[in-house]
Amino acid sequence: MRQRSRFFPGPSLVAAVFAGALAMAGARAADDPNKVPADPPLHPVLDPHYGDVLFEFYQGRYFPAITKLEVSQHFERMQHHADEAEILRGGLLLSYGLHQQAGEVFEALLARAAAPSVRDRAWYFLAKIRYQRGLMPEASQALARVEHALPAPLEDDRRLLQANVMMALGDNAGAAKILSPIATPRGDDLYARYNLGVALIRGGDSAHGTTILDDLGRQQMPDEESRALRDKANVALGFAALKAGHAQEARAYLQRVRLQGVQANAALLGFGWAADALKEPKLALVPWIELAGRDASDAAVLEAQLAVPYAYAELHADAQALQRYETAIANFENEDANIDATIAAIRQGKLVEGLMARNPGEEMGWFQTFRDLPLMPHARLLTPVIAGNEFQEAFKNYRDLQFLGHNLAEWHDNLGVFGDMLATRRQAFAERLPRIREQGQASGLDMAHLQQRSDDNAAALKKAEDDADGVAFADDRERELQQRLARVTGTLAGLPPDADPELAEAHDRLRRVAGALAWQLAHEFPARVWDAKKGQKQTEEALVDVRAHDEALAKAQREEPAHFEEFARRIADLDARLNVLMPRVAALSKEQQGALQEIAVVELMSQKERLAAYTAQARYAVAQLYDRATEPKEGDHAARP
Amino acid sequence: MLNRTRAALIALGLCAVSAFSPAMAADAAAVAASAPEASASAAPPAAAASAPDAAASAPTGSLDDRVQATKADVISLNRDLLVLEEELLFPANTQVAVFVSMDVGLLFDLDSVQIKLDDKAVSTYLYTPLEVQALHRGGVQRVYLGDLRAGSHEIVAFFTGKGPHDRDYKRATTIKFDKTTEPKYIELQIKDVQQKLQPEFDVKVWQ
Repeated sequence: MRQRSRFFPGPSLVAAVFAGALAMAGARAADDPNKVPADPPLHPVLDPHYGDVLFEFYQGRYFPAITKLEVSQHFERMQHHADEAEILRGGLLLSYGLHQQAGEVFEALLARAAAPSVRDRAWYFLAKIRYQRGLMPEASQALARVEHALPAPLEDDRRLLQANVMMALGDNAGAAKILSPIATPRGDDLYARYNLGVALIRGGDSAHGTTILDDLGRQQMPDEESRALRDKANVALGFAALKAGHAQEARAYLQRVRLQGVQANAALLGFGWAADALKEPKLALVPWIELAGRDASDAAVLEAQLAVPYAYAELHADAQALQRYETAIANFENEDANIDATIAAIRQGKLVEGLMARNPGEEMGWFQTFRDLPLMPHARLLTPVIAGNEFQEAFKNYRDLQFLGHNLAEWHDNLGVFGDMLATRRQAFAERLPRIREQGQASGLDMAHLQQRSDDNAAALKKAEDDADGVAFADDRERELQQRLARVTGTLAGLPPDADPELAEAHDRLRRVAGALAWQLAHEFPARVWDAKKGQKQTEEALVDVRAHDEALAKAQREEPAHFEEFARRIADLDARLNVLMPRVAALSKEQQGALQEIAVVELMSQKERLAAYTAQARYAVAQLYDRATEPKEGDHAARP
Repeated sequence: MLNRTRAALIALGLCAVSAFSPAMAADAAAVAASAPEASASAAPPAAAASAPDAAASAPTGSLDDRVQATKADVISLNRDLLVLEEELLFPANTQVAVFVSMDVGLLFDLDSVQIKLDDKAVSTYLYTPLEVQALHRGGVQRVYLGDLRAGSHEIVAFFTGKGPHDRDYKRATTIKFDKTTEPKYIELQIKDVQQKLQPEFDVKVWQ
């Protein structure tokens, strides 16, 4: 049922914002934010960080959603979803009641060349903001800028909004025209049908409007919310008929209202008055007696406690009337004392503390349904106060401030840890890096020395290559051979030619071995040059890496202190902001608690005034009854309270 | 009698004129109309280094105005704190983030994910039904944020849950990747392969 959203404007608004956003991205969004889409959604997320925001959003964790969203916007990590992210941010801000900031988001979207679909949604939400702030002509102008049909869930809401704006501007006929296409007979959009009926009646077409509301008032409804709307239609019709003097019709409408719904007390009271209008006080007693026994915190119940003896008096049952009046007076006085006790408890802070204790909430921004009343004297008296919109709004602010107070306290601790971490990092950096660099230089492994060695090697390689000097590439064994050959050559050279008959053969063997070695060196020369060049290249590449690391270290040594300083400055700035905001949030919390208590006290004081008026009426009626008893006159009628 | 009836009606605020008002509870719950202007000191959505004086000047106006302006300041401060935290603890040149997403996911009911980076367990996450729903709807969870030095690395992810026919299911997926001086984003994807009627676990490296 889409109607649910209208009772929880904060979350539903954001859900609607996103439903539209997702629809534009090609996925099928559920209207109910808690419902998994029945159809497989497409996977529209092109930036994982945007998906991370949605992950929080879908769990109703709006605060992490909006902070993560803004952080990812700062790092420019959601470029594929820039406009959708902005629409979502605007909706989240709106759910927190930040109308100005939300308005700025949507206006900025409109100022830049956003896609038409984004512009249309931005205009729609701007209209919604203006409507909520009571700026009806401006809301109407914004709605007029929506050029295309919005995505499915939003389009019906846009029509409803437009109709409401038109009704607020007095254009009831225009509102009826807007609503007619979506308020089809027995259609699903019950609110559209209800509002269409209201618009028609206000516009002067009472017959048509009454027919629509009557149809709504007869319909079988699937859930509590729909049934409450049906009751509301029937009560509205019933009291309108009563006012018009059509008591019989009024009874028919009011009879449809459930006995236990929100509208039940009003319906019972009206049902009795309709019977009374038909000169049937006996019939009137049935609903009134039922009503008089209910919770006295409802004004209708107090009314019934006077209406019952009035009906008895109409029936000339003066003794019963007198007894009922006296009972009513006692009840009123008792109720008055209860209210005094409740006001005293409220002023001691028990209301707000009790509500927070018995209705914990982890998130901010929700219109939370109170499950339990606070533990305090006569807490039932507070039910109508707590259900009121003004109290709900103020309590939402109070809970938000409590949430923000805890949030800031956590950050205050974290920021201290960040400061310690930075100090440790800074100290380690200052101590270790210079030591590492000094050690490198002391071991002869500094860059200049390494580079010199590499250059020397390159020059030797080039010279050997240019000279085709295979000896330069001889390995250890070959060098040893060369040395032995040199020694043998020297030895042979020192001998007289005829010293030994085998000397000639030794010379010949020496020549052959030297030739074999020279041949081997010449043969291996190209391959050895290639290997040497490859090795030299690898050395030079490694030197480039080493140089890069060395430069990075040098740069770090130069610049990191500045970065540390920058971090320290930011930590100090943020700490200063925290220190300003924490007491401000605490002071506002206290002030908001006071405001909440004042709302409750004012409401209870008005209940006291009402009780005083009823008590006076009852006493007057009692006096009249005593007068009638002591001075009976034929044809007297009951005293009218 | 008529006077009495009318008095009762007026007392209840249910006379016909007020009864026929549009039903849109959202309107009733709208922020009080006593907020014509939010405080001018509310911090604009500026860069993270935006001036701390946004918080320094206390907002003025009605209580509701001041509360809303303070909320805006706290949201702005949270953004700047988170930016600082990320830059301090997970600088871009070493940052690695691991995400989990689910495309359809009808063939696999996710219970937990364990992640090992270079053979070291860095994250084990147990999912609530609400979190699984959020994944089903297109949310992408950042399950791990950490630091890695440049070079080659290996990530192994173990998924446990219920597979087709409600059977216990445990699968692992692995990938080797190179970490450069840019942030590295890795998405672990759970997909349905309808032809095989089996879930599939994939890894996507974003950068």
